[in-house]
Amino acid sequence: MDIIQILLNGIVLGSLYACIAIGFSLVWGVLNIINMLHGSFIILGGYLAFFAWQYSGVNPVFLLPIIAALLFGLGYLLQYFFINKVVMSPVLTTLTLTFGLDMILYNLMTVFFTATPRRVTLDLGTINLGDMYLPVDRLMGMGLALFLTALLFLVMRASKIGRAIVAVRMDRQAATLMGIRVNNVYAITFGIGAFMAGAAGVIFSMVFPITTNLTGTFLGKAFVICVIGGLGSVPGALIGGIALGLIESFAGYTIGPQNATTVGFVLMLFLLIVRPTGLVGVKGYE
Amino acid sequence: MKITLKKRLTVAAAAMAMTMAGSVGLASADDDVLVIGAPLALTGGLADEGKKQQDVWKLWLDKINAAGGIDVAGKKMQVKFVEYDYQTDGKRAGQLAEKLINDDGVDVIMAPFGSGHTKIIAAVAERYQVPMLACVASSVSVYDQGFKYLFGTLAPNTGMTESMVEFFKEKKPDLKKVAVYGRDDVFPKAMATALSKSAETGGLDVVYNELYAVGTMDHSAAISAIKSADPDWVYMTGYTQDLILGRKQLADMGVTAPIVTMVTGPAYREYTEGLGDLADGVTSSTWWHHSTAYTDAVGPWSTTADFYADFTAAYKSDPDYVSASCAAAADVLVNAVQVAGSKDKQAVRDALAATDILTFYGPIDFGENGMNQGREMPIIQVQGEEIKVLYPASIANAEMKMIK
Repeated sequence: MDIIQILLNGIVLGSLYACIAIGFSLVWGVLNIINMLHGSFIILGGYLAFFAWQYSGVNPVFLLPIIAALLFGLGYLLQYFFINKVVMSPVLTTLTLTFGLDMILYNLMTVFFTATPRRVTLDLGTINLGDMYLPVDRLMGMGLALFLTALLFLVMRASKIGRAIVAVRMDRQAATLMGIRVNNVYAITFGIGAFMAGAAGVIFSMVFPITTNLTGTFLGKAFVICVIGGLGSVPGALIGGIALGLIESFAGYTIGPQNATTVGFVLMLFLLIVRPTGLVGVKGYE
Repeated sequence: MKITLKKRLTVAAAAMAMTMAGSVGLASADDDVLVIGAPLALTGGLADEGKKQQDVWKLWLDKINAAGGIDVAGKKMQVKFVEYDYQTDGKRAGQLAEKLINDDGVDVIMAPFGSGHTKIIAAVAERYQVPMLACVASSVSVYDQGFKYLFGTLAPNTGMTESMVEFFKEKKPDLKKVAVYGRDDVFPKAMATALSKSAETGGLDVVYNELYAVGTMDHSAAISAIKSADPDWVYMTGYTQDLILGRKQLADMGVTAPIVTMVTGPAYREYTEGLGDLADGVTSSTWWHHSTAYTDAVGPWSTTADFYADFTAAYKSDPDYVSASCAAAADVLVNAVQVAGSKDKQAVRDALAATDILTFYGPIDFGENGMNQGREMPIIQVQGEEIKVLYPASIANAEMKMIK
């Protein structure tokens, strides 16, 4: 029975991990920007959800579209006015810029919200199946993660903006010649990344205590998941997230929680050597 | 090339001369100002704890300034804090401690939060022979390095675990199995290790004993294993965010141990706020609780109640042991300067070593290794909206309740 519980733990945790990584993977894969702001975006979404809930009493799930849209706006503006200026530079330049922007955002959050851990205390209970326990908030998070992943997948495949994003990623010059406003597409892509981070933050505010201390942890997870799953593919983030969730869950149970996170990093190193595209990544995006 | 080098040397010599003149001037001009240096974690992982130290020292300093300073050898001496944010980066903490000593000419250093960073700064203070007071470091490993200039107001954390095991055995005579789960970090690890040792010595069966890595985002794997072991008592250590998540996951995964102890979770208000009803029944040990009632204390607050009243008026929240211990450390420092009759570092150090006083926080009497020996540490429990003291009997205000 323990094995099934561990398996379920891993899948649910993995889906939450996927939430962290989807936006990060999109921005890295399409814009070739390693967005160091991503962890802070998630925490900002979580804080907005917490304070909105505390102030209005409205369940954060209903606030998710508004908060995610706010994050989209922030991401769009940051890309349009700052990052677009250096988007054609080597990846180290954009990394440094987003690192600097992250320091500003991180410290602003610490000043305004303090680093006190906060959690939306809507304890929704647990579904009990015999000896197995499934926390409802985590299941809800998993459902939302799957929904958002599917939504992004559809947007990328079937919508005009999705095709424009893919076109810009494939050949910026050709896309410009076809009349696509490249700077706008970049800003929208970065905005979608921030949207997904904001949505993840709202979900996390019900599951994890939110504090600025966690920005680095989220960013680290996003890295590992993208390398495991592969860049440039929306399902890659989902598969990478679930893979990491399962690995940590089984490693934590069998060889102890002290070593569980290390196992994830070891797998990342292994994949970087033998399969740089990740499990389902697209060649050329590694 | 030669000219350039000569010029450079001249400029460097001039700069050095100016610096030396400046520091001499500073030292002589500031004889009647006691300068306290404090590297604080105002951003980064320990920002919350760093802010608590900053806040309580501001409150303390306002109180001192309102009295016109401190009386030393028949004269009034002013007190000044120089603070830097070390961004929760241990290496930077060490560098800033050097800056405080060399550039700012501080007379004494107040250590930041946590045993790990205190250890780093203690080495710097010892090298320069600057007295240092540590108000939030309780791991014996910080103090057993033979340092002569380091003094700590918290009592050794190992003492907490033995009394807790005995107390819980008395309250729950059929207590048999304990699960210990701690963060792999200096203080939480020391507490987890001490508890498992005390439990074994006390005849309990330690059915789970693991550490989790710093940066662990989820505890479900460990809690599944704890559930399988079916303990009567779960003892978890870590930082507040770890403990909030841990308590929630214990409930989510159906762990129904009648005793859940989290160190130092319930000692912090944010822990109970972050958990709501789930915090009810959780026990902890702490170094201080505001329901203690010391009177005739030295320093600006002569009773625990006075400190509590000033603190709650200023910050609209209850002070925890961090605030109390750090304010008491400042009281101890002032007392030592008064006893020494000057701010001479060696004399202040000797006066600190001989300290045996009562503060609003409790008695302070530094042992051979510089740790405070004069403390009897309370066991507390969340009961409804309140924190109740269960032990020691002299300050207990409630009976222990088992979690149902």
